[in-house]
Amino acid sequence: MSSPTLAARRPEILLAVLLTLCLVGLSLQVRRPGGRTAGESWLLAAASPFVDAVTALRSGAAEVGTWASSRRTLLAANRALSAEVERLEGDLLRLRDAERDKARLLELLAAQPAPPPGTAPARLIAIESSGPFRTGLLDRGAADGVRVDGVVVAPAGLVGRVIAVGPHTARLQLLSDKTAAAGVLLPRSARAAVAKGDGKGGIAVEYVPTIEPVERNDLIVSSGTDGVYPGGLPVGRVSALAKKSTLFWDIQLEPAADPRRETMVFVLPPVKRSDVTGGPGVEARR
Amino acid sequence: MKAVRVGIGLSLAVLLTLAAGALRVPAPPDFFLLVVADMARGGAVVPAMLAGLPAGLLEDGLTGPGHLLGLHAFTKILVGYLLATIGSRTIVEKPLAVGGLLAGAVLAEAATLTFLLWVLRGDVLAPAGWILLGRALSTGLVGGALHAGSRVPWRQRREARRRMRLT
Repeated sequence: MSSPTLAARRPEILLAVLLTLCLVGLSLQVRRPGGRTAGESWLLAAASPFVDAVTALRSGAAEVGTWASSRRTLLAANRALSAEVERLEGDLLRLRDAERDKARLLELLAAQPAPPPGTAPARLIAIESSGPFRTGLLDRGAADGVRVDGVVVAPAGLVGRVIAVGPHTARLQLLSDKTAAAGVLLPRSARAAVAKGDGKGGIAVEYVPTIEPVERNDLIVSSGTDGVYPGGLPVGRVSALAKKSTLFWDIQLEPAADPRRETMVFVLPPVKRSDVTGGPGVEARR
Repeated sequence: MKAVRVGIGLSLAVLLTLAAGALRVPAPPDFFLLVVADMARGGAVVPAMLAGLPAGLLEDGLTGPGHLLGLHAFTKILVGYLLATIGSRTIVEKPLAVGGLLAGAVLAEAATLTFLLWVLRGDVLAPAGWILLGRALSTGLVGGALHAGSRVPWRQRREARRRMRLT
């Protein structure tokens, strides 16, 4: 089928071949103004897309290589920086904690410019409540000089007393414990009274006659007469005041030192019986 | 046989071209085209093209611009193809028609040549108009005359004269 067609087209094919040969021969002879022959120019023109494509591929590959290298470098740098940031954030948190502890210590030391010998700093690391009982856990124990009946104070005021001591930890009874009690003084009359924990986080002052002047927001301090707590330490502020009966006030205190917020405390050595005084209020009364 | 004819024709064309140059003929006929046209008679496409190739190469060697071998070969092959194609589809017997066809072939070749030079060199190198017309005219005249001469039964006339001398 194709043979007759090719035979019929033989003159045209021959013509095309001859003309092409002539053109090729001419293109190899004609020199363009740039010095190249027409054949070279045509060859370059025909090859330029291929050359451009190869050049583009090479450039693309180089860019990809550069990008991959940069990416590797950037990823490594990013990992290193992330680790550095993580480390620095940890350092920052530690520094902030240290700064806060330092500020609290300075505040505490300012409140107690001359702490008694045997005073040990400690962290209040846990607060526990079981029914009416409120206790805490310190990170210092007998190895650090903490003893039973040691007085736990915070910069804001009295926190409680040590009731059990381990080698490196100690358990304290908070003032808000239902079974805790402390001798206190009313600020306006210097009258002694007894503060007891209400088992709910607050403190109640009992048996204060209604003839005693008491106002809300009065600061109640320890009296030092109970043989447990030294005198003059803030116990709490009057948050609620009501007449329980015609004879006594029903006084509710907001603890001066909130155990839930205090983390840095001092453990004072137990009060000696011989050191028990009436406190400033008692002295005032005397 | 055709190859010998082509060889003789091209030899004559070379000689006549050189002679025309020596005589400073302003518009000499294209003798190489006449050889190609001779081979294209009767619609012989392939012989015409195959004759156009050496004819054009010879013309390039003689008259073409330097270092452009193949320029006239291209045009001669193309013109040979055209002439043979026309000859195969029409009957061109009158000398005037043959002359006109050859003149047209010269013009077509010149146009092709100009186009080819423009393609190859990038600039238009058109020949002078009057020289081109003169070349076309002279080629047509010579071609028509040769065609007319070829139609004369020279052999029969010679035989007749010989018989008359013998008798």
